[in-house]
Amino acid sequence: MFRYFLLKVLRSRNYLFWSMVFPLVIMFCMNMAFGNIYDTENSIDPIRTVLVKESGSFFAEQFAELVKSMADEGAERQLFDLSEADSAEQAKEMLLAHEAMLLFVAGEDELEVFLSDDHSMTSGIVSGTVADSYRTNFRLMTDVYENAERLPEEAVSEIMDNMSKELSYTMQSKGIFSDSPNPYVWYFYSTLVMGMFFNAMTGVNLVSDLKADVSGEAMRLSVSPGGKGKMIVYAFIARLIPSLLISGIHLAVMKLVFKVPLGDDPLRLAAFVLCSDIFAIGFGVICGLVFKGNLVARENKTTGMLMASVFLSGEMISQLPGIIERSAPIINDINPATVMNMALYRLAMYNNDYDFYGNMIKLVAASVVFLVIGTVILRRERYASL
Amino acid sequence: MNEILKVEGLVKRYKELIALDHLSISVNEGEIFGLLGPNGSGKSTCINCILSLLEYDKGSIRVFGKEMSPKAYELKSQIGIVPQEVAVYDSLTVYENIDFFCGLYIRDKEERKKLVREAIDFVALNDFVKFRPKKLSGGLKRRLNIACGIVHKPKLIFFDEPTVAVDPQSRNRILEGIGELRDKGATIIYTSHYMEEVEQLCDRIAILDKGNTIAEGTIEELRNMIKKSEIISIEAGGLEEAVLEKVRELKNVYSLDYDGSTLKVEAGSGRHNVIDIVNILQEAGYSLRKIFSEQPTLNDVFLELTGKTLRDE
Ligand SMILES: Nc1ncnc2c1ncn2[C@@H]1O[C@H](COP(=O)(O)OP(=O)(O)O)[C@@H](O)[C@H]1O
Ligand SMILES: [Mg+2]
Repeated sequence: MFRYFLLKVLRSRNYLFWSMVFPLVIMFCMNMAFGNIYDTENSIDPIRTVLVKESGSFFAEQFAELVKSMADEGAERQLFDLSEADSAEQAKEMLLAHEAMLLFVAGEDELEVFLSDDHSMTSGIVSGTVADSYRTNFRLMTDVYENAERLPEEAVSEIMDNMSKELSYTMQSKGIFSDSPNPYVWYFYSTLVMGMFFNAMTGVNLVSDLKADVSGEAMRLSVSPGGKGKMIVYAFIARLIPSLLISGIHLAVMKLVFKVPLGDDPLRLAAFVLCSDIFAIGFGVICGLVFKGNLVARENKTTGMLMASVFLSGEMISQLPGIIERSAPIINDINPATVMNMALYRLAMYNNDYDFYGNMIKLVAASVVFLVIGTVILRRERYASL
Repeated sequence: MNEILKVEGLVKRYKELIALDHLSISVNEGEIFGLLGPNGSGKSTCINCILSLLEYDKGSIRVFGKEMSPKAYELKSQIGIVPQEVAVYDSLTVYENIDFFCGLYIRDKEERKKLVREAIDFVALNDFVKFRPKKLSGGLKRRLNIACGIVHKPKLIFFDEPTVAVDPQSRNRILEGIGELRDKGATIIYTSHYMEEVEQLCDRIAILDKGNTIAEGTIEELRNMIKKSEIISIEAGGLEEAVLEKVRELKNVYSLDYDGSTLKVEAGSGRHNVIDIVNILQEAGYSLRKIFSEQPTLNDVFLELTGKTLRDE
């Protein structure tokens, strides 16, 4: 009998897609995107770039010098393959004709960046970085010049102050709720968590399998002489085993294919995966019980919940939990996807006992509550209406 | 005769709506008992109450002489149900579905194998054992639905409208099958809103309307409950009013209708109704073409007892 419970889950294409295939696809996509950035240091083809100087100001001249030095063929790293144009209009024509990918227009005291519609990801990032750092540094430089006329030492120390402040801010913001946690691992972790969380769908399905007022199949179970208790256990384990296997596959792919660091405590990692998968299924059971309608309606509403939770946890915008933490931290504290993300992130990156166990306790407590409520309700055999 | 099922004074409310209103039925061993009633009359509700799937407000239900309850596993093991909606798993094949539902009743693997084979033969799904339900036509799906309900050879079987939306061929197969089950000793409760089916198949019938049994008995007994017992139609042209008046005056005749070519007479029970009418017409010198005499249908019974017809839904 258990065999059939298991077969049913393993043959559910929808489930396998969302909780196994989909996260893998996302991981591959992210690898293509980020893997690229990580490799830029070593190998980038020079970006075909046009430079237009619209002014003879110091600002414009200095910028032209900088770009030229980065376009020097003899340089250690040649970033740009530079050509010049007489006017911004002419240069834009070149972009439209795909003769160049990137255009810098250096004005009196401002800098504009244009990209062609076929520009590469690398060119986008490099151009942004170059322009930003030039603007910042130029301001610093002119500050030094202006202040130097008055009080050289004072000015220098002020700048040093500023810089160190900036530096310490950067250090601080390496915390998890910073605006940009290490995006590479963060995206992988939250994708893993998303996959685990999607096990909630089988939890909803479990309700439909066992609750006679949701499906005719469950009605058949209810009129049979078997006790409900055993069925609940079967149905639950038949969902837990595949979910653990899928998480295992995801972790293996992360570790072996994408080289994502997973911390140095496999036992705790396993405990985390077990708890999260149980939690997700339990969460789905509760969703299945709370939402009304037929199985499809219940599934759709649950999908909505999952999507919202995963989105808020930063699957798409890694800065989001940081922003939420500043304005409404309670949401982070109760958002299941964030809690799971945090437990994993802290486990893998910091090995911070307190944080890890704090989040794990939340997961375990919620799982216990969910499963107890679910079992009590599902054990009933008689309903007010069918 | 052994009473297999006894329902007394069953009341079931859905909030404001009273779905079952002091409903009582009793079913004897080895019969096909028909629950006939229009859609929404409470047939499914009645079955679900009997099976302890639904809470009910009042009444008593005894199966095999014992009180039925959700935990009466002993009783449940001898009951089979074929629900109104097809209730099978889309992700399991025909064979696996039947085996799964059989497994809820039968532990022993060998025995189960045998029973599943028999059930597949019974509904003639042998060519489709590896199919998923989605690939089956409506009629075949219904047959699978039946197989899942009867595979464990229950003593008491509920069929809830098993022929709705089924092609005529499958329908006949299903009705025959139900007859076979009865002949093998099962007791069957069959619900339908098709009176022809019930008339053809059932040994005893309860007619349901608005959650109440308005009549219960064999077809003969039900026919005798209404005064109309015979409908006679005679094709004859040009009958005069005086002749019609004579027919109307016959003791058993209570309604007469003539459209210029066919005379329709409804008559109460009596042995010579047709002969009496034919005599009158012949004495008056009319030549008669076709003569029919029909018995009233369950629809007539329903019409007379409730004032509305079963057919329109
Ligand atoms: N879950 C429910 N909630 C409210 N009313 C219901 C419910 N199920 C059935 N009913 C109502 O109860 C009455 C009997 O329904 P049902 O037993 O399904 O009739 P039948 O099977 O004879 O077609 C109908 O009027 C129907 O609308
Ligand atoms: Mg019904």
